[in-house]
Amino acid sequence: MPLLPALTPLGGGLFLGWTLGANDSANVFGTAVASRIISFKQACILCGMAVILGSYLQGAAGIETLSGLTTQSVSTAVIVTVSAALTGTFMTYLAIPISTSQAVVGSILGIALATGNADYSGLTKIVLCWIGTPLGSIVISCVLYKSLEWFFRTVPMSMLTRDKILWGGLLLAGTYGAYALGANNVTNSTGVFSGLIDGVSDRTLAAIGGVAIAAGAITFSKRVMLAVGGGIMPLDAFCALIAVLSMSITVHIFAVIGAPVSTSQGIVGAIIGIGILRGVQAIDLKTIRKIALGWIMTPILSLILAAAAYAIFL
Amino acid sequence: MLFINKQKKVESSLAEYRQKVSTCIEIFENSILQYLENSDRAMLEKNGVEIHKAESLADDIRREIEVMMYSKSLFPESRGDIMGLLETMDRVPNQAEATIHMISNQRINIPEQFHSQIIELVSICVRCTTALLESSAKLFSDFTTATIALGKVDELESEADHLEEAIIKQIFTSDIDGFEKIMLRDTVKQISTVCDRAEKSGDRIRIIVAKRRV
Repeated sequence: MPLLPALTPLGGGLFLGWTLGANDSANVFGTAVASRIISFKQACILCGMAVILGSYLQGAAGIETLSGLTTQSVSTAVIVTVSAALTGTFMTYLAIPISTSQAVVGSILGIALATGNADYSGLTKIVLCWIGTPLGSIVISCVLYKSLEWFFRTVPMSMLTRDKILWGGLLLAGTYGAYALGANNVTNSTGVFSGLIDGVSDRTLAAIGGVAIAAGAITFSKRVMLAVGGGIMPLDAFCALIAVLSMSITVHIFAVIGAPVSTSQGIVGAIIGIGILRGVQAIDLKTIRKIALGWIMTPILSLILAAAAYAIFL
Repeated sequence: MLFINKQKKVESSLAEYRQKVSTCIEIFENSILQYLENSDRAMLEKNGVEIHKAESLADDIRREIEVMMYSKSLFPESRGDIMGLLETMDRVPNQAEATIHMISNQRINIPEQFHSQIIELVSICVRCTTALLESSAKLFSDFTTATIALGKVDELESEADHLEEAIIKQIFTSDIDGFEKIMLRDTVKQISTVCDRAEKSGDRIRIIVAKRRV
């Protein structure tokens, strides 16, 4: 089969990757762009390059995990990606933050339940990692907070040097975060097509998915970046650096483990960690409840959608 | 590397600016002390020109710093903070200059019975401004300790307020001419305002440090 027609089913996955890039790149570069540390164009270049690099070098582990959940055909893979994309759109309409990883895994499980062909051993690992994302981020942010706090209180420096360290750190953390985003989340975009297209290896799938995520970041992320950046900024540069760095480390760890997780949940976990150290009253419980709701509803909704689509169309 | 050079340039210009403010305050002190000693109006006018020159030089440096900062050499947050600080600091030499011009142009006569208290008030203003300059210098060497000197600024400002009140009371219980009383009261208030301005600028430093405190 010629390669181009063979890649056509990937359209759903690429669309999902594009959406993911448009939304999640805000978690890594939102603060730097909103506070005009770098321009949107510069952020796009850095983010795009790091996402593609992360996807290509370390994205294959997650693809292996997802493909182990159930056996896919091209048709079911299309249902998985479209169901995940629809779930994402619906939850975004309700203004509930979602995890694309949860939407994709939910869809895969929907197909697995419909076909009766599920392997729950991989699922346990993924669900544990979902719980581990905010928790890991909380722990890492607390450790980073205390370490950086000690550094800034102990080392005498000019206020300009302090600002330079923080903003430079934010830029590096953002680039690292984009790398981790690609490494961890590329599996959501093209992972379900693993082994389904002749002549396309997992690494090539990861690279293609990486390009889709980068395209989303470059073409459609500006508004989200400014909104998320504006939301995180009131934490100040010090906390913004801790939040982005904690999220990046957490998401990267799970990329190495091979479990797709959410950057949004990572950054929220980091902010909770900072809130714990700065006083619990800083944590907005209403927002936490909303995030928890999305955390539970997303996989359930995409599971139902995928299973229903399978029952109706296949 | 480029940023490090820009930062050093901004910091060195700020040091130069503080030096000019310090010069203005020195001229302010010397002018009043000399005037109290020999009532030489010609000398006071000459000092008025000197303080104006020093204040203009400080203004030039301030404008240079502003241009430097708008060439995007600093992060927006630092830029806004430094601009705000310079804006408030600039009011201190302005006030010193205005005071000398007031005494000179309005031919204020300061009776001998008030000399010692006026000298003390001027000395408080100088020490208050010196503490402010020390605190602002700390922002660019060890910013977490910048607020230590501000305690001194507050203390001296409060001391200046008490002394101002005491002098004014004394003016209105003295037997000098009614019109002179008003003029003298305004002069004392004008001198004391140097401390008020230094305190306001100190508040700005407090905000800068608080924003960066972890």
